[in-house]
Amino acid sequence: MIRTRHFFLKLFLAALVAGGLLLVYLDAKITSTFIDKMWELPAKVYARPLELFVGARLGPEDLAYELEVLGYRKVTKTTGPGQVARNRGRFEIYTRGFEFPGEKEPARRLLVELGGQRVQELTVGGRDIDLMRLDPVQIGGIYPLHGEDRVLVRLNDVPPTLRDGLLAVEDHRFYEHSGISFVGIARAAWRNMRSGQVVAGGSTITQQLVKNYYLTPERTIVRKLTEVMMALLLDLHYDKDQILESYINEVYLGQEGPRSIHGFALASRHYFDAPLNQLGVHQQALLIGMIKGPSLYNPTRNPKRALERRNVVLAEMAQQGVITPEQAKAAQARPLDLNSKARIRNSFPAYLDLVRRQLRQEYRDEDLTTLGLSIFTPFDPLLQRQIETSTTSVLDQLNKGGELESASVVTRFDSGEVAALVGGRNIRYAGFNRALDARRPAGSLLKPAVYLAALEQPRRYSLATVISDSAVKVAGPGGRVWEPRNFDRKEHGNVLLYQALANSYNLATARLGMDMGLGLVVDMLQRLGIEGSIPDVPALTLGAGEYSPMDMAAMYQTIAAGGFRMPLRSIREVVDAHGSPLKRYPLEYERTVSLQATNLLTYALRSVVREGTGSGAYRYLPANFDVAGKTGTTNDGRDSWFAGFSGDLLTVTWIGRDDNGSTGLTGGSGALRIWAHFMAAASERPLGYRMPDGMQTFWIDERNGYLTGKGCERARLVPFIDGSQPRQSTNCAPREGGVKDWFQSLFGS
Amino acid sequence: MMHERVFARVAAVALALVMAGCAGVDTRDTPPAPVVTPPPTVSPPAPVAPPPPPARPPQPSVSGAWLPLVNKAEQATARGDYEQALALLERAQRIDPESAEIYLQLARTHRARGDLAQARATAERGMLFCGSRAQCDALRAFTR
Repeated sequence: MIRTRHFFLKLFLAALVAGGLLLVYLDAKITSTFIDKMWELPAKVYARPLELFVGARLGPEDLAYELEVLGYRKVTKTTGPGQVARNRGRFEIYTRGFEFPGEKEPARRLLVELGGQRVQELTVGGRDIDLMRLDPVQIGGIYPLHGEDRVLVRLNDVPPTLRDGLLAVEDHRFYEHSGISFVGIARAAWRNMRSGQVVAGGSTITQQLVKNYYLTPERTIVRKLTEVMMALLLDLHYDKDQILESYINEVYLGQEGPRSIHGFALASRHYFDAPLNQLGVHQQALLIGMIKGPSLYNPTRNPKRALERRNVVLAEMAQQGVITPEQAKAAQARPLDLNSKARIRNSFPAYLDLVRRQLRQEYRDEDLTTLGLSIFTPFDPLLQRQIETSTTSVLDQLNKGGELESASVVTRFDSGEVAALVGGRNIRYAGFNRALDARRPAGSLLKPAVYLAALEQPRRYSLATVISDSAVKVAGPGGRVWEPRNFDRKEHGNVLLYQALANSYNLATARLGMDMGLGLVVDMLQRLGIEGSIPDVPALTLGAGEYSPMDMAAMYQTIAAGGFRMPLRSIREVVDAHGSPLKRYPLEYERTVSLQATNLLTYALRSVVREGTGSGAYRYLPANFDVAGKTGTTNDGRDSWFAGFSGDLLTVTWIGRDDNGSTGLTGGSGALRIWAHFMAAASERPLGYRMPDGMQTFWIDERNGYLTGKGCERARLVPFIDGSQPRQSTNCAPREGGVKDWFQSLFGS
Repeated sequence: MMHERVFARVAAVALALVMAGCAGVDTRDTPPAPVVTPPPTVSPPAPVAPPPPPARPPQPSVSGAWLPLVNKAEQATARGDYEQALALLERAQRIDPESAEIYLQLARTHRARGDLAQARATAERGMLFCGSRAQCDALRAFTR
């Protein structure tokens, strides 16, 4: 007897200890992870904040778009953060404010007056503001499951009817109970018993959250008990608003292909293509109703059932006083009002992919998905929208619905920041990222490296050096002979060096490359920023090898920056969950190429668009808007490339087919058109002309490269590195008159 | 390397030729101060066009927007917080990427934190944008 009693006592004690340990364990699990899980689990990726100051270039439609992406609500008079009232070019913006690393931007009512594509006035309460930033668009997060995406929302930004409606339907005693609700369980049991099936779950919002966060979905008694314990603990440690906010962002609301939709904010974008705070009551009710069965009540697949469920929710909301019966009735009469395009707007998979890759070089996946990092990027939603528009509209002209693919990289070359990225024609599709992963021959896009290597030897070469564009044969390994041809299958005889590049003559370029030695070309490509393997073969001079648009962007970035190499950055700063800076990715210049030689090359690249293979650019650009660039076409028109820059932006564009078939396009008839369409709309500054120390300009006869006089026949002004100007002269005396060429007009004379 | 050093020497003279051109192109940092000096004696007769009006439409001055950032950066440098100073200056530079003044401040900050290579490279790039002799000289000093 006594033994038995002892035995039960021991068992009881053991159970108590085990239970206690379990409790301690669960408690530790919750307190150590909940705050992180709640908000800070995934790394959040932000676009650049829009900087506002008098003189900033900004059109009203751009500002309106930025605010729309940010989810500012359109009102007639702003009364709180996150609202905007617009009257043509005059915006009254009640900003949300933002904690930037090192500086807090307060929420305030801002008046912005735009005119002539610039900010004319910027005031708060009648006082001028020098400079301020809007909150940055969150462009995504880095989540544990591939393809997951989320838009987070603060409880304060959740419409009151949605919040109260949610509580009314899911857990109306949420603010009273202590994590679990005995009343709720009893009522659910009663209703289930009466109907003979499971019609109601007794789970509180807290329990549901615990279930989603920590537990597997099977239905066992042990799991249920753990859930109850953890719900009690969660309620003990955190306040109701934190739990509710967390729930609103975590709740599962359906699936789009491989992507699961968590949280009301993302669901709102997905189903209605609108920010959460712009949903009507009928739309809010639809989302609330979906919690019970996201696929059963999926409005796209089961519209009838979803509508019925929505109307039940609306009735419940009216019953509990969240809305009036009249409002419920009006809302019940509305259609589902779904987004017609079944996709998530404002998601930028190609750019996020780039950010993720850069992050993975330094952080473990686990850290990225759990530490709650904030990643600040230079992504520019306005440039992204424009490059997408340009890509789509030009591709649709070239071959509507066809098989042409495209990729583009846009950088601000003064800082080396990647501002926008297109990874394929289907822009929202997070698939093959051609901007980063396409491996293509670059055609004539590589030629500038040949010319730059030559121009770095001013004793041998200048822009006016005569080179021969005539047939050339190079013996390769194994007795094979490389015999390049020009695009037009002709020889052009003696041409000046800049003309050979402007017209993309293959024979002259091959000769130049072979004269110098391939080693110099390989070396130049490396100095320009190509990091992959570079084939040391004669055809390299005409673009042999495999390069991504990003590789080409790295190369042209160095040229655009004037000979300064800098890493292409897609991250400005990483900040930890508590707002302390972890790592900054600083601006760093490294001069890897001669300034003077780069300046000369830029002359030749201007010549490409003014008078050579890229002159189609001026079908889009204003005649006085200076740019420089290079076309690239590969065999049989498999790849159409253009790389070029203005005074602020560098853009590389590629068009081709995934099956490597012919596009029937040249660089000039394909990629150039997207490039120019984009630059004409997006670039703020034409290329300026700045000659570094140690250079001068001379008048040259463009037929023979002799020094000549200003105003003489075929005279043009050409820059030279000191001492490299031609020795021979036409003996033509300078005279007045003559037509100004494009380079001369850079000097304004 | 040798070339560059020679160029740097000849620079003062040769640059003067094109200075007016540069200054005319971008006059946002400081009021235009075209420096007119005698033509160089090292080369054939002065081939360069006379000082031009700006080829590009003049851009409105936005220095009012970034000056407070530069001031804050100076304070940060003074208390040894170079990271903060650089972050502020980079923000200023994004607002006005063609301001030689900002390049100069960046170069000074790099020097203050002991990164002479970065100071030099930054100043060298800034020289593409300098608009007055004083500014060009201040930048050039870093590149020697």
